Amino acid sequence: MFSKFGYFARETATSLRRNLLMTIAGVLTVTVSLFLFGGVLLLSTMVDHGVARWQGDVDMQIYMQPDATDSQIEDIRLALDQLTQGDLAGVASFTFLDKPAAFEEFKELFANQPQFISSLSDPEKLPTSFKIVPKGAAFTEELRLSFEGRPGILRVLTPDSSVRFLIKLRSNVRLLFFAIAAVLLASSLFLIVNTIRLAIFARRREIQVMKLVGATNWFIRIPFMLEGLVEGALGALLAFFGIIGLQKVLASQVADANDLFSAFYVTTGDALSIGWSVLALGAVIGMVGSAIGLRRFLEV
Amino acid sequence: MIRLESVSKTYKGSVSALRDVSVDIAKGEFVFLVGPSGSGKSTFLRLLLREELPDEGRILVAGRDVNKLAHWKIPYVRRNMGCVFQDFKLLPNKNVYENVAFALQVIGRPNHVIESQVPQVLDLVGLAKKSDHKPDELSGGEQQRVSIARAFVNRPLILLADEPTGNLDPATSVGIMRLLDRINRTGTTIVMATHDEGIVNAMRRRVIELDRGAVMRDQERGVYGIGS
Repeated sequence: MFSKFGYFARETATSLRRNLLMTIAGVLTVTVSLFLFGGVLLLSTMVDHGVARWQGDVDMQIYMQPDATDSQIEDIRLALDQLTQGDLAGVASFTFLDKPAAFEEFKELFANQPQFISSLSDPEKLPTSFKIVPKGAAFTEELRLSFEGRPGILRVLTPDSSVRFLIKLRSNVRLLFFAIAAVLLASSLFLIVNTIRLAIFARRREIQVMKLVGATNWFIRIPFMLEGLVEGALGALLAFFGIIGLQKVLASQVADANDLFSAFYVTTGDALSIGWSVLALGAVIGMVGSAIGLRRFLEV
Repeated sequence: MIRLESVSKTYKGSVSALRDVSVDIAKGEFVFLVGPSGSGKSTFLRLLLREELPDEGRILVAGRDVNKLAHWKIPYVRRNMGCVFQDFKLLPNKNVYENVAFALQVIGRPNHVIESQVPQVLDLVGLAKKSDHKPDELSGGEQQRVSIARAFVNRPLILLADEPTGNLDPATSVGIMRLLDRINRTGTTIVMATHDEGIVNAMRRRVIELDRGAVMRDQERGVYGIGS
């Protein structure tokens, strides 16, 4: 048994060394594609965390027309007041932002763009708004429907609509990256198939002799399977470290960012669980690649 | 030991390679398979090795119907058969010892068996002193001895030889035939396909002559051609 193990290890190592350039190409393609794959997973985990926080946290806002009359504003205020009363009402609290307050908020939001602030000559053009804290995320849609279209209202901004935009953006970007990663994974699979075929070709005399003297198919195949496995796993291991590194970079970026983006955190645990699945995927790609490479060779 | 019952084989788009061949070879026999190129000698050997299947007929090797073997059992049947070829089929990057040991390694024999069997068989073929030479450092005759050693190291019941002296000069061929004769005396059945008239005539063993896939002659203690 031990001598068999030694034989397989020796044969695999020899074959990997003999096709060194092909081996490197295969390993690196696996690395790049798996890193991309894992990176996308990591980023979307990050966005998931952020979205979860926002969905629970962010108030909804009713923007009035800039030229809304005082009575229209008063109507809305009364309606909101009523909604704070009673168990079934959806509003926990609300505040009114008049024009000077809206300007203050505007200045705060664009603090890093002073020329944009100064270009706004007339604060009167800013809409007034109500900031509403709903009793729960479930009420936001209901509130939006009941207010939208009332006279004087410009727009009801719910966390849903801003978050929905973000989720849509996220899923589109994720789809794009997964498509790229899938193409790369397929090409790394083909590269491994090719490497194995080359290795078989390089050793065709040995294989012929092995068949003649009665070596079993599995005995002939195992070194090639191991070769594919090693290539896939090696590439995956590099991608694994890349993903851990990416997490460290992202974590430090988020730590430096302002409050708004602190929700977009990603933990070492997230990176590790993604890393393990990437490792497993790499090993599977290696094995499948060599199995395909060996397929023609299945018949005795 | 070997039995062919009405075996026929036709390759795609060509004339039949074997036509209704029935042959019975007993254990310990030494059989020459003679005939011109394309007469079906190689097909005969390939069918025995189960590298190919016949279109019709039954082939029994050591009591097993090789056509009905499960795929995974084929290697185990081949372990009962040694093979020697005109072009030796040695591995150029391995030395003599390693070439012979390879045949045992790849069927999973333990190291202690390899270490005792390989020197023994190299001694039998007269190459004990050249065990660390690479094949390209050996003469043709020596290379063929290595290939015979590799075929015989697992003590097969049957040795199949396809033109083993085809690349060798007459003097060297005699040496190879002596070696095969010695192996035959250990009880190993030998089937040898050959063109070499001198050898067949000198050995006076059973001769099966094939012509365009059919058995023309099957003769105890025969010669190469009728009347020669």
